[in-house]
Order: sequence, then C-alpha cells, then structure tokens
Amino acid sequence: MTSVVAPVAGKVVGLTGVPDPVFAEGMVGPGSAIDPVRGPGVAVAPISGVIQKLHPHAYVIVDDLGRGVLVHLGIDTVKLNGEGFQLLAEEGAHVDAGAEIVRWDAAAIEAGGRSPICPVIALDADRERVTVTADGEVGTADPLFTWE
Amino acid sequence: MAERQIKVTTEVGLHARPAAVFVQTAAESEDEVGLTKDGRRVNAKSILAVLGLDVRNGDEISVDSFDETIVDRLTALVSQAPEGGS
Repeated sequence: MTSVVAPVAGKVVGLTGVPDPVFAEGMVGPGSAIDPVRGPGVAVAPISGVIQKLHPHAYVIVDDLGRGVLVHLGIDTVKLNGEGFQLLAEEGAHVDAGAEIVRWDAAAIEAGGRSPICPVIALDADRERVTVTADGEVGTADPLFTWE
Repeated sequence: MAERQIKVTTEVGLHARPAAVFVQTAAESEDEVGLTKDGRRVNAKSILAVLGLDVRNGDEISVDSFDETIVDRLTALVSQAPEGGS
C-alpha cells in the first residue's frame, strides 16, 4: 500500500471541490484536493520516489512500485509560465515523502484570479483502491489518502 | 496500422487537463494506442506515461493504432487552433 501525504497545508476539499470539471470528475485520476493556507509556502513530495516530471506548477513523483502521484499547484497555473514558483528540487532526483519540491504563494495565485486549490492524483489508479483518510484541516506531510 | 505525425498546436500541449482528456479518449479504443515523442513510444492509455512525455505546444509527436478512428480523434485533440489564434 502506498500512503500519500498532503503536499501542502490547508483544508481537504476532495476532488469535487476542484473548480475544474476534468479534475472534479476524476478524469485525471482518483485522489483528493486541498484548499491551501494562503500565503508563502512550500509544496512537498506526496510519496517517496523519483521526481519523474517537475514543472513549476505541477510535479509527478513515481515510487518503487511504479505508481505515480501528481500534485497540481492551483488551477490553470500552467499559464503562469513558472512565474511565482521556485523549484527546490530537480527532475530525476529520488526524494522522501515530505521533501521540499516547490516554493510558491497560494495568496498570490488567488490574487492573480486563479484558484490555488491543489489536486493530488493517483495516476492510472483504480478508483476502488484509493481511500481518502484525511478530513478537515491538514498540515504539510500529514496523511491524505491511501492507495492499495 | 495507422500512424500519424502531428505538430501539437494546442496552447499548453498535453498537461494535466488535456492529457486526461487525451488518455480517456484513447482508452475508449479496444486496440492498443501508442504515443511517440523524440523516439520514445508510450501507452497512450496511461496518464502517467503521457504526462511523462511532457508534450508541449510545437512538439512533433505521432499517434499509432490499428484503430484508425481513434487516431483521427486523438489527432484532432492536439491540433486544435490555439486559443485566440487564427
């Protein structure tokens, strides 16, 4: 079983709380979403593994079983072209769950007219195998969901 | 076997949202569907694999399958006119 931790601190809103139907309907995959604490913060690795893809606004970590977890920092943030994000890790590196990956500011994203909500997605996962264990407020690196 | 070379013209390429739509469409085919960029071919039905290819606007990719209909549909998904462009 893979334990997935919260990449950011905030309120667990679930995928249905994502203001983007593709995430909200689970098309990207099952998982959860966090409405992050506003202000400067650091997004961390949701699982231990290799950083397969690292964009300023999103990253994918793949564990030893080949399971990938996507963290998306805000909605439509690909269009910011990295502005407001600072990479703290490198693609291809092996990191532990909780390792610092990207410095960002949820308040600045929101001030720019975008939602800072962060979907955390189990890629290629069967819906039945993902169980969200967190509810309400979570701290960075607190348990979020499990992937059997 | 149908294989089509495509220049990606959608604004953000195959990032999370468009990649999800691409993969879901590919998954509707009963045949194997491949996506290739820079000589690396992956399973077009895997969101992890498709995100890993990091397909961006302007990239040259190819889609292959015995299912020609799916090749046509996937081609259309990545070659829509860019937003605001003509």
